[in-house]
Amino acid sequence: MLPELGLVRSDDLDGVLAAVDYDHAPYAGGTELVPAMGLGLRRPAAVVDLKRVEALRGIDVDAGAATVTIGAAVTHRRLSDHPAVREHLPTLAAAASRVGNARVRSTGTVGGNLCFAEPRSDLGCVLVALGATAEVRSARVTRTLSIDELIVGAFETSLEPDEILTTIAVPFEPPGMSYWKLQSYERPTLGVALVVSESRWEVTVGAATERPTRAVLAAGDTAGLAAFVDGLELSDDMTGPPEYKRSVLRSHLGRNLGATA
Amino acid sequence: MTGSPAATSTVVRVRVNGRAIEMLVPVRLTVAELLRDRLGLTGTKVSCEMQVCGVCTVLVDGNPVSSCATLACDLHGSEVLTVEGLARGRDLHPVQEAFMAANALQCGFCTPGLIMMAVALLEDHPGAEPDEIREWMDGNLCRCTGYAPIETAVTVAAARMAATTAPPEGDQ
Repeated sequence: MLPELGLVRSDDLDGVLAAVDYDHAPYAGGTELVPAMGLGLRRPAAVVDLKRVEALRGIDVDAGAATVTIGAAVTHRRLSDHPAVREHLPTLAAAASRVGNARVRSTGTVGGNLCFAEPRSDLGCVLVALGATAEVRSARVTRTLSIDELIVGAFETSLEPDEILTTIAVPFEPPGMSYWKLQSYERPTLGVALVVSESRWEVTVGAATERPTRAVLAAGDTAGLAAFVDGLELSDDMTGPPEYKRSVLRSHLGRNLGATA
Repeated sequence: MTGSPAATSTVVRVRVNGRAIEMLVPVRLTVAELLRDRLGLTGTKVSCEMQVCGVCTVLVDGNPVSSCATLACDLHGSEVLTVEGLARGRDLHPVQEAFMAANALQCGFCTPGLIMMAVALLEDHPGAEPDEIREWMDGNLCRCTGYAPIETAVTVAAARMAATTAPPEGDQ
C-alpha cells in the first residue's frame, strides 16, 4: 500500500497553481506517478488533481496561426482520436495511438508524458520535430518554452517545483513528415522523426538518446548526416548496445533519405 | 491553498458492476485495493504494479485502466466493470465463451485482465480488425499460452459481437 497521501482538488487553474510545489505533486493520469510512489521514488505529501481543470483539457485549432493547442491533461487516446489532430497532426495522432498500451493511452496524458521526461518516449521526439512550444505556469509567472527547453535530460525538465505545464502549441504538420520507431518491449528502443523537403532534411532522434535530438541539414548533406549520427550518444541497455541502435538508425535514414549516413 | 493540510481520505460514489457504492476511501488506496480488499472482488489480479502486465485491467466508464496504478478517489461518479460483472446469471459474456472455446488460458492468472481488455476493445469497436486486436491486446502479458489462442478467442468474439450489433443486411 502507498504511504499516507493527501488530495487537493480544484476546478480552476489558479486553485491548482496555488497548491503545487515539491510536496504537492501535479497528478493527472497517474501513469508514472503512482508506480513511482509505489516504489518510494517519489514521496509527495499530497497529489494535486489536475483532471477537473477545464483549461488543461482543451484541444483547440487556430486556423489563422495554423496551430493546434493541446491541454496538458489530454489523454493519449483523446489526442489520437480527435478529428482536428488527425487532420492537422496525423503523425502525432498516429504516434499517440501507439504509446504504451491501451490502458496507458486511456489514462496517461500528454503533459504527464513530457514532464516525466522518460527518454524512451515517442511524443517528445515528434513534438520536437514539429517545433511545438509549451506554456508553463505557476502562481507567479507564465513562460513559453520550446520542447527542447522543457526536456533538459533523462527524467529531467526545466520546470520549477511550483510550475506546471498547461498547454502545448503545435504548428500544423509540414509535408514530408514521418515518425518511425523500433520497439520490442513496452517502451520504444529508437524513434526517428523526419521532415523531408526538396531543400532540407530535418532529423529528430529519440528514445535511444537522453532527450530528443534534432539536426537540420541541407538536403543531400550526407557528410553532415553522418557526423550527426556518429556524434549521437546512444543508450546502452537491455534493448541493445549503442552501435546496434546506430546501425538501425543508419539503415532507416538510408532507406528514407536515399543517403548513406 | 486552503491553509489546512490536504484531506487524506475522500468520499467516493461509484457503481461497481451495476451496484451503487458510497465509501470513505483513503487517497492512497488504489482501485485494485478497493476492489479486492474492500469489496471482495478478487477476480482482478495484481502483479507488476508498473502498468505493464495488464492483469489488473478493469473498465472505468468503458475505458481500460490499470487498477493497480489508479487511485480509488478518481472513481467518483464513474461506472466500474470487473470480470465479475460480465456474466448475466449463468450466461457468459461472448468474450468469456470465446476464451473457453479456444482454450485461451492455462494457469488463468492473466485471464481476467485479458478478458477485460478484449471487452473494452469490442465494446468500443465491435468487429475489430486483426491489427486493432493486436494493438489493444499487446499490453497484456501471458506466460502460458503463446498468445495464439488468445488472438483466436478475441477474433471469434469480435465476429460474434459484430453480428449481434450490426443492423441486418439489406436493412435501410
